Amino acid sequence: MTTSRPHAASLVSKSAMVGYLPLVIFVALLGYLSIASSNFLTPATFDLILRQAVPTIIICMGLSVVVMAGGDDVVSGGIDLSIPATAVLSAAIIAQQVTNQGTPLAAALVMALGAAVLVGAVNAILVVRIGMTPLLATLATSVAVVGIIKVVTSSRRINVNDPTIVWLRDGTIAGVSVSVVSTFLLFLILFFVAHRTRWGLNLQAVGGSREAAEVSGISARKFVAQSFIVASLTGGLAAMFVLARGSGSTPGTEENLLLEMVLATFLGAAFSPRRVVTLWGAVLGAVLVSALSIGFKSIGVNVFWTGCIKGALILVVVASASLSTRVASRGRAA
Amino acid sequence: MGLLSSCQSKRANSRSVSMTFDAQILNMSGISKAFPGVQALDAASLSVDAGEVHGLVGENGAGKSTIIKVLAGVYSRDAGDVEINGIGFETLSPAAVHDAGVRFIHQELHLVPHFTVAESVFMGQELQGVLGTKNTAMRRRAEEFLEESLNAHISATTLIRDLGIAERKLVQIARALIDSKAQIVVFDEPTAPLAIGEIEQLFQAIRRLKERGIAMIYVSHYLGEITELCDRVTVFRNGKNVAVESEIDERSTETIIRHMVGRDIEELYPKKDHGVRDPILKLSDLTSDGRFSGIDLAIGKGEIVGIAGLIGSGREELTDAIYGLAQPTSGIVTLDGKDLNVTSPSIAVEAGIVLVPRDRRHDGLVLDLNVADNINLASLDEVATSFLENRKAAIQRAEALCEKLDIRPRNAEAITRFLSGGNQQKVVLARWLATGSKLFILDEPTVGVDIGAKVEIYQVIEGLAAQGAGILISSSDPSELLGICDRIVVLMRGEKIADEPAITLNLDSLTALTTGGGSVDTAT
Repeated sequence: MTTSRPHAASLVSKSAMVGYLPLVIFVALLGYLSIASSNFLTPATFDLILRQAVPTIIICMGLSVVVMAGGDDVVSGGIDLSIPATAVLSAAIIAQQVTNQGTPLAAALVMALGAAVLVGAVNAILVVRIGMTPLLATLATSVAVVGIIKVVTSSRRINVNDPTIVWLRDGTIAGVSVSVVSTFLLFLILFFVAHRTRWGLNLQAVGGSREAAEVSGISARKFVAQSFIVASLTGGLAAMFVLARGSGSTPGTEENLLLEMVLATFLGAAFSPRRVVTLWGAVLGAVLVSALSIGFKSIGVNVFWTGCIKGALILVVVASASLSTRVASRGRAA
Repeated sequence: MGLLSSCQSKRANSRSVSMTFDAQILNMSGISKAFPGVQALDAASLSVDAGEVHGLVGENGAGKSTIIKVLAGVYSRDAGDVEINGIGFETLSPAAVHDAGVRFIHQELHLVPHFTVAESVFMGQELQGVLGTKNTAMRRRAEEFLEESLNAHISATTLIRDLGIAERKLVQIARALIDSKAQIVVFDEPTAPLAIGEIEQLFQAIRRLKERGIAMIYVSHYLGEITELCDRVTVFRNGKNVAVESEIDERSTETIIRHMVGRDIEELYPKKDHGVRDPILKLSDLTSDGRFSGIDLAIGKGEIVGIAGLIGSGREELTDAIYGLAQPTSGIVTLDGKDLNVTSPSIAVEAGIVLVPRDRRHDGLVLDLNVADNINLASLDEVATSFLENRKAAIQRAEALCEKLDIRPRNAEAITRFLSGGNQQKVVLARWLATGSKLFILDEPTVGVDIGAKVEIYQVIEGLAAQGAGILISSSDPSELLGICDRIVVLMRGEKIADEPAITLNLDSLTALTTGGGSVDTAT
């Protein structure tokens, strides 16, 4: 049915190959790690990888929603760099309230989610009303939020011993860590919303082609704005698991989260047959990134080098994404 | 339960409607619309019967798209009445027009490349149940609709980016019609992006829709398609409907063109008298996949050759390829007897080929530099000693050229932005005149230029030719080409369909050639 010329076909497969490149590099790295470290391929390590990945997985899902609504162009498309800072701010608010003020956890969580939504609303206004590019707008809010974190916590670590947080960290359901189970449930809900509802399909239409969506009567601005709110909410929820993972709030956590979030989400696009950012792709990406971090630790790679390698991987992932779209669009232009 | 039954009821429905309302489904009468300085529509009328394909033709700026936008609720009309299905509309909003059953198939496809056919067809109107979107039902209905109503066999799970352009067009049509409420469908240049072989597929879909009783308005520059497809044709000129032709066959083209053109060529053009000399540029079998193919062309020293063709004919792509902005897939370019492999504009300029682009404000001039800087931009070597520009020499040379081309104000240090359009165009020409180029490619040289400046630009072009340069003019204005060119080449859908001395053509025959409505035999 498709009128594909041999010329166009070869271009398409070339673009597919470029798109798979980051995945190949990742699998090769993991393969190397499992040979270099004897205890890398064990159930215990796998459990550790998943538990470490939980906060990243949750904020990756938020970022995926923003990218779906804004398009996957790295510069002008949808991106929200403020989710990690929002997560750490929410964690700081909960820690401050629970440990220093004696507020019940539920009330503290409501306050944290409120603060998160506020950040999301600011992003939405900056992008949709004022028309800033998401990259710059959310970079600015991210910097501002990090400043607020320092004010709230006086740049100090706050321990949290709340039993619920401890349960999130240590508890298990049917042998699986509570944090992993709850993240999986959250994934199911968000997956349904993003991939199996009108709202989700319209969101993806807006990201795929704003004009096409508008012509079909879908308000692009509404969906872009809502995607920032959803993203900030995932940041607020991730706060609970940030606290559980670190047994409290530590300023500076957002730096590593940011790196892993961007890397994992765009790496996830390589899993999707359509070469676009998806929720499940982002989750798999987050698990891979976490596996890599833990693998590097287990063979004793210097922590500073780990950051350097991750930065290089972001470059590979983003470059291959732009390359494959360029090759593909060259094949399409006719 | 399915589309078939709903379509049949739809057909029955429109039949009863057509009987009740005397077959007329759309009646726009006395429509006027003015924009600052332009009367875009002047008491224009358009009426369409149920179940007919109604052609809407006219030259650029005749008011076709304005009346369609009035119907779409995009522009509000200054005066006139609109009746859809016998119901009068005081004001038209996009939503109200949609509810009345009018659908628009825009020239742009507006599809998401990584969506499936089903997702694209149901975009914005997804079927949602309690357990999420009904993906299976949407797939089935999309396939059924494409098959039953558009005669297309496309799998609903195919991604848009894996479809051919014609199939994408059908998906776009399916999206507009899937709710089975459409009664009037407006097509805006639907075949513009299609290759010759793909058009029939679209026509079959349109004929199938006609069998189902849907009225269609078909806006196109391709008169050949209009006469093949349409039952009636309304011709627009200068914001008015000047004719409605009802018995359409191949011979209607001439009548339609006469109504479209309706004027004589003004005596704008310099009298030309240059016998053809040695060829300076030769193209042999130049091909660029998907854009143009097998183009043979020769331009002699001192010869002015025009390229005519509609948007999508490959006109722009061909000049881009000669200038190195795009790579041809095969074929040979010879300049002055030497084979030339132009892979970038810098190679073209080096070899003596110059392109004066259509949008001089963006591509041709640095508007905030002064006239002298713009003139010397391409030949800085000649006014520079080692690294430094010789300011005085630069200004003097620019002033000499300003004098020669009559650029006003006669001040080489004026900022280019403040010159009129015609004078800006002359600055671009002066720049390349300064380089002593052999071949000038001019893309729409007089767009947006007033009539007086046009005449001066024609004289400059004549002057260049008289000095022995070859000139290639790509223009959408047929009278301009007829007036100034020695020879006119007509492109259509990427192929050269005519190469005639300008003297043997007239406005009617050239328009007929470019719109696919006739052959050279109808000329003279």
